[in-house]
Amino acid sequence: MVFGDEVQSNLGCIKIYKSAIAAVAAIAAMEVEGVKSVSRGAVIRFLELMGAKITKIRIEIDHNSNVSIEVPLIVKYGYHVPEVANKVQENIRQAVEKSTNLSVKNVDISIKSIERSG
Amino acid sequence: MRVFNVLGIFFYAGVIILIGVGFIALSFNLLLPEHVNYLYYYMQDNPLNKWAVRLSGLLLIIISYSFAQLILGRMQREKTIAFTTASGEVTIALSAIEDLIKYASNIMPEIRDLSPDVIASKKGIIVTLRVALRSEANLPELTARLQEITKSKIQEVLGIEEAIIIRIHISKIVSREEKDKRRKDALKDEPSIPFGGFGRV
Repeated sequence: MVFGDEVQSNLGCIKIYKSAIAAVAAIAAMEVEGVKSVSRGAVIRFLELMGAKITKIRIEIDHNSNVSIEVPLIVKYGYHVPEVANKVQENIRQAVEKSTNLSVKNVDISIKSIERSG
Repeated sequence: MRVFNVLGIFFYAGVIILIGVGFIALSFNLLLPEHVNYLYYYMQDNPLNKWAVRLSGLLLIIISYSFAQLILGRMQREKTIAFTTASGEVTIALSAIEDLIKYASNIMPEIRDLSPDVIASKKGIIVTLRVALRSEANLPELTARLQEITKSKIQEVLGIEEAIIIRIHISKIVSREEKDKRRKDALKDEPSIPFGGFGRV
């Protein structure tokens, strides 16, 4: 596990893992209509079956606590891809900023595949 | 490094051929355990031979490593098209466009099989479609329609403004009569179930 960011509160310090930010981003992406799944490779799917919690969402945090997120997506067939990508970017930005109080610098989307829903 | 890649291809082909020849030779008693023993003792015989074997082993490792890199590199080199939005960059894998074309062409019953290949170049997006058709299809009309559907679907779904060049290569034309005949023959050959028609309401 890799630490994402550390926030100091009155009672102590709060550490936010990158995996937690990635989980928030994955949930936010899946909320958008037209998104089939957050893409994962075969190896990651196998490791997840073995019980490991892994997401392929990449999180980078610079020294000013600005977050950069890279999300691989599979979009449903029949949806306008740029529109879906835009909505995902906005939804992830809002969700991550709301949940973590970190500022999101950019959300990069990579469309890995287009698949039929169902 | 390119030399090693070529060597790697020849090496693997050579090894597989050698194994095959070895099996055949064993089955015909042409290769005996004494031959293998002789080769082994020859390799161990003097320091020069030992060094030759060592260097050959090292070379084989380098070739194998280079070959593995070549294969993995090809697998990982995923090509994309990209555009930037206010929130960041959006990249679309060319394989995703290929998926889209496959789905879009499903509405045309004349197409039996379609395999698209998408390349992004300075000229624009070049789509090559290898198509297997049913014989009753009117080729000029069908290909024009396929080009139109593919182009409009890519523009509509991906919002791409670049030029889209669509090349169609008809690889096969399948006769429907032939297919129906084969199906009928298969049905004829199927054994009938005794009393299969009884008991139906």
